[in-house]
Amino acid sequence: MAKIKLSVNGKVLELSVNPQQTLVDAIREDIELTGTKKGCGTGDCGACTVLLDGKPVNSCLVFAIEADGREVTTIEGLKSGDELHPLQKAFIEHGAVQCGFCTSGMIISAEALLRQTPNPTEEQAKVAVSGNLCRCTGYQKIIEAITSVDPGQGHIRGEAMSSTPGGSAAENRNDD
Amino acid sequence: MTTKAEYSAIGKRIPKQDSELLVTGEAKYLDDIKFPGMLYGRILRSPHPHARIKHINTASAERLDGVKAVITADDTEKVKFCHLPITPNKMALNDEKVRFVGDEVAAVAAVDWETAAKALELIEVDYEPLPSVYDPIEAMKPDAPRIYEDCEDNIAGRVARNFGDVEQGFEEADYIFEDTYRTPLIPSCTIEPHCCIASFDSVDNLTFWVSTQNPNNFQKALSQVLKIPQSKIRVVRPQIGGAFGNKSVILPMDPIAAFLSKKTGKPVKLVNSREEEFTTTRGRYPMVVHLKTGVTRDGKLLARQAKVITNNGAYNNKATGISLLTSNRIGNLYRVPHTRTEAIIVYTNTQYGGALRGWGGPQAHFAVESQMDTIAEKLGMDALELRLKNANQPGDTTPWGWEIPSCGLTECLEQAAEKIGWSEKRERTGMRGVGIASVLHTGAGSAGTHGSGNFSEVLLKVYPDGSLGLIVGESDIGQGSDTILCQVVSEILSVSAEDVTVASDDTNFTPPSMGTWGSKVTFITGNAVKLVAEKVRDQLFEAACQILEAKDASQLTCADGRIYIEGSSKSVGIGEAANYCVQRFGKPVTAKAVYEPPNANPPDPDTGFGNYCPTYSFGAQAAEVEVDPETGRVKVLQIIAAHDVGLAINPLLVEGQIQGGVAQGMGFALFEGSREQDGRVINDNFTTNKIVNSTEMPLMKEIIVETIDPYGPFNAKGVGEPPLIATAPAIANAVYNAIGVRIKELPITPDKVLKAL
Repeated sequence: MAKIKLSVNGKVLELSVNPQQTLVDAIREDIELTGTKKGCGTGDCGACTVLLDGKPVNSCLVFAIEADGREVTTIEGLKSGDELHPLQKAFIEHGAVQCGFCTSGMIISAEALLRQTPNPTEEQAKVAVSGNLCRCTGYQKIIEAITSVDPGQGHIRGEAMSSTPGGSAAENRNDD
Repeated sequence: MTTKAEYSAIGKRIPKQDSELLVTGEAKYLDDIKFPGMLYGRILRSPHPHARIKHINTASAERLDGVKAVITADDTEKVKFCHLPITPNKMALNDEKVRFVGDEVAAVAAVDWETAAKALELIEVDYEPLPSVYDPIEAMKPDAPRIYEDCEDNIAGRVARNFGDVEQGFEEADYIFEDTYRTPLIPSCTIEPHCCIASFDSVDNLTFWVSTQNPNNFQKALSQVLKIPQSKIRVVRPQIGGAFGNKSVILPMDPIAAFLSKKTGKPVKLVNSREEEFTTTRGRYPMVVHLKTGVTRDGKLLARQAKVITNNGAYNNKATGISLLTSNRIGNLYRVPHTRTEAIIVYTNTQYGGALRGWGGPQAHFAVESQMDTIAEKLGMDALELRLKNANQPGDTTPWGWEIPSCGLTECLEQAAEKIGWSEKRERTGMRGVGIASVLHTGAGSAGTHGSGNFSEVLLKVYPDGSLGLIVGESDIGQGSDTILCQVVSEILSVSAEDVTVASDDTNFTPPSMGTWGSKVTFITGNAVKLVAEKVRDQLFEAACQILEAKDASQLTCADGRIYIEGSSKSVGIGEAANYCVQRFGKPVTAKAVYEPPNANPPDPDTGFGNYCPTYSFGAQAAEVEVDPETGRVKVLQIIAAHDVGLAINPLLVEGQIQGGVAQGMGFALFEGSREQDGRVINDNFTTNKIVNSTEMPLMKEIIVETIDPYGPFNAKGVGEPPLIATAPAIANAVYNAIGVRIKELPITPDKVLKAL
């Protein structure tokens, strides 16, 4: 077992993980955030997408120990108190959700895009979620939702580390 | 009659009621659930396509630390089951033979997934491989390996239908066309794999959590396979991650989970790997369709004769019903006076098929609609004109006895063609082309298909605060059926749709039901909900009459969540009226209603004649494609999808069904399909069996045609399946228009295109 310290949705956590354990399993089983889903285990479907230091990754292909000292953002981290994230609101309004199983990963990939490109074109939005498979919607309403988000609306630009005993994960991060 | 503009809830674009829980990740799917002491199960599957099981040794597996049970067929009731009531021949775990790669042989429950997987490797199975056969035409030959001892020619079943006189029709025809079309097995590719948790208590009550679109079906099937009364089984359905018809009946993994739980005394969870999803979950039946059609020189269809060869796979499931549906679509799409169909269902040593959105419709339409273009070209006729000339019309009764109360086929064809620029684009230029295809499907399930009628029973109750609980047996599988049912209640009682909560997820209280299938929920359950809301309204009016001192109920009306004396401002809240019923009448406001269509019945069991659906949904899709001559790749530029839905109760959700259906239809046309080598599925992941991704979707434009069905709730009918069915033939026809060569086998992959060029 290895001890890791990472920030998840702004909260610093210490975990004891098996070296073979994937990040998605650590998120779902140890941290008990089940919003991130498992659809294939081989990085093909994108249902497990989370942000790792702001970049979208298939968390089924990342070992939990690789997240040591880093920031993880899951779907649970997008809501601000009771206020839905603009992407979440847009997905609801545009009918971009059907069964919902791909939705967490889809929104996370879209969030990564909006952080870099606040006003994306349709093409950019399509590319950003090209690794997120959806069997229900045909993607059109998802793209409409993503491109409808007003770049002027405030939305999460990066997790601020909450200060906890032991210092922040940012300070303890092992540079790759 | 109220027009759509006058409705307060019907016709409104309302997001699905569960949307917020889905976008926040809060909604719980099966694999998000765990229980104290829960174990994890894995299944040992045959590596051979056909073999005798001589001996199974589970001792080493049982000794592995963390393993709590290892089971084989001897730990089960050895019940053979299959969904349609014909010759069941599959057990949860096989004891004598395995008949396809992936067939279930043993299972393990352990403290975690890794231990369960290791335990599988320690189970020793002594197989005696047997000769195998994979192609249905090969399997019918006299020297083919016999898959069942008592079935000499490997023919699992035959279904034939005959209406009119095809010989006469061919006699009168000026031209006769004969073509053969092929389609592969299509896995459902739900992003959430099939999964379940089984939990027996100490007095043998079973609670079964499962991703299913039909909890009642599971309760019944588990009762049969486990040999325990249905009353001791509770099936609970969490949020489902996609179903598309493929989560309607039990898989062997379901009773296997139950047997593991029985043996261990603990809850046991099973979740399919993606590989198991591609190799064992019974996708769309592969078919070979020989289609012979006779027409007059001016384009009137006279006769159709079809021979459908369905690859049953190793065991029986739904092939008979599905092959019959393929046959009846061939027989009823367009006005054709003489039709004869014969479906032959053949055992092979491959994964056996099952239900998937559209049932046998996509296979039938690929054949019929591809051939229509071939016919049009030979006759020198525009392909659109040929379809319009033969289109079904409202009020038709077909030779099969189908009565068509509403039909927008003509409007759908004309509008789809106009929108895509049919007349400008049909002249072949470069490597671009346009194609069109019609679709005929049920608009409301069907009678007799699953060995019973086609009904829905629902319950509605009013709480003291005026909010309502609606209880139905049909699951919302992501399409938004819960939401439109609330819109129906909202319209009748003038409450807000948000004040109605739908529960459908627990057989302890949901009415016995046939579940969600066959594009039926809008029509069948919608009609039941309309009836139950009217009954509740009558109960509330009885109270309101007294409270408001009205002469009688005919003076009352609902508006803004209250009950008014019409023309006055005297009103009472719905909650207050409900309370009054309890206090003064001694009974809470609850009602039950059952709807079964009065105008549809199971077809005659011998001839197949009869109107078995209360209404039919039509549509047409036009596709524009561009073919790359270097790579053979087909790029879909746009799809116009025109669908006759009667009336759109919620246009936002109707669009969702159309767009999602088109995406699946596009996959069927261009990418998807199980490929096997020596009986083994070789494309068992999303890379090798790809489904459409966001960058590949063309521009889609939906045209909602409203034909105001006389029987539908607020004149609506179903739209879940038709959008998938028209897409592949529209694309195939567009490819033909682009490159002048007809590809008759799906998927239309680059190598096929290059070979054709």
